[in-house]
Amino acid sequence: MVELIDGSENVSVHGIFNWILLLTIFSIITVVANFIGYEHPIADSLIGMAILSLITLAGVWMERYLPLNISSIIYISVIGIALAFPGMPTSEVVSYYVSQVELLSIVTVFLAYVGIGMGKSWNEFKTLGSRAIIITILVIASTYLGSALVAHIVLVMTGVPA
Amino acid sequence: MINYNFQRNLGVDFIPDKNQDDHVEHIYRQKTDKRILKKNPWRDYRLHGTVLILVIIAELIGTIKIPLTKDVAITIMPLIYTIILGLVFYLAKPIKWIQRKQARIAEGAMMLFIGVLIAKLAVSSGQSIGLIFDMGPALILQELGHLATILVLPIALLLGFKKESIGMTNSIGREPNVAVVVDKYGFNSPESRGVFAIFIIGTVIGTIFISFLVTLSLSFLPLHPYAFAMASGVGSASMNAAAIGPTLAAFPGMETQIEAFAGFSNLLSFCVGIYIVIFVALPLTERLYNWLEPKIGRDSILPAKKEDD
Repeated sequence: MVELIDGSENVSVHGIFNWILLLTIFSIITVVANFIGYEHPIADSLIGMAILSLITLAGVWMERYLPLNISSIIYISVIGIALAFPGMPTSEVVSYYVSQVELLSIVTVFLAYVGIGMGKSWNEFKTLGSRAIIITILVIASTYLGSALVAHIVLVMTGVPA
Repeated sequence: MINYNFQRNLGVDFIPDKNQDDHVEHIYRQKTDKRILKKNPWRDYRLHGTVLILVIIAELIGTIKIPLTKDVAITIMPLIYTIILGLVFYLAKPIKWIQRKQARIAEGAMMLFIGVLIAKLAVSSGQSIGLIFDMGPALILQELGHLATILVLPIALLLGFKKESIGMTNSIGREPNVAVVVDKYGFNSPESRGVFAIFIIGTVIGTIFISFLVTLSLSFLPLHPYAFAMASGVGSASMNAAAIGPTLAAFPGMETQIEAFAGFSNLLSFCVGIYIVIFVALPLTERLYNWLEPKIGRDSILPAKKEDD
């Protein structure tokens, strides 16, 4: 039980080393996808992935080392927005190289890991009845359509051209 | 703190012993850390090699458009192939090199790779920060649109769910929502069983379902492109990713704006959404339940569930 509860608050250099290698593998696969799918130059998209990996690394590191209870998702978002903020000295370089990496390439690779990972939930999934599946589908549909409709109404009311 | 409580509960009550069956534990970052630290996950060349091959296959097939009518087409993108192939590789018996261990590593690694996705969206948000401030009201108010899940409650009651329906319909039932429900109702409550069911089913079919839902919505609903972009931030990184794909394909030339809104709305769902669930959605769902249950509630038909004990 204790083993389940205690995590690894003391992330070692070894941990960072693992993160870096994982991000490197992820970057290489994404660059391959980016090249096959969109024919972006390999060198440019490698630099783009390196920038994104560094942002991720910084965010993940900050979550574990800074004494604030803030998720890495927030750190990563803030760093990413700040680096690309118009007027920042980094903004042109970061925007150029990151734009060489298509979002869909990242998503395609990411979802391959998701697909393999979700196989683990397959047995539990099978024990749940069809009624629960219906409810899940309706819940996902209503949350998506609900916010799409609200956003649309507000956009139209505030006169944003399509 | 919520997470910690949930985690403790998990440790004591939830993890079934057989095969160390741990399907919800990837919720916890500490656990992810541990997995990443201990197993040298980069060394599993079979996993990463398989992913590389899946991705190459998917990108080579490319996007397929299936026309339904003259104007309406269903778009199937490479990202769908990789999820489905990933699942098939795990489930297929002849494929011996993708097993539970690889799935665990994939799950752990996924938590790190979400960062790259978020970083890409954040850079797009930064580039169009002016636009985001201009669209502030829409971005914030659409978070309230997620309350529409509560409308599913009567259907859950008609299908014979009791208090489970509160857990099922208060939100989309991803990690933070599971934590909130368990924290409020306790681990062995019917409400928690409900949210677990949604969580597990959402994990398996959510990404695939939302990508088709978005494709169909894009074809049939004449909504603002930004509205589709904002709506894709449903509060789950993988569903967000799957929802952005078809949206990007449907509005060529607007990539940066769509990514900016999708990323920012996902960030909002993450920061603000959880408080909407705690202070608005859950109380509202409970009220509706208390009002509707005596009127339309059926005899409970729930089969004995695995999570019960």
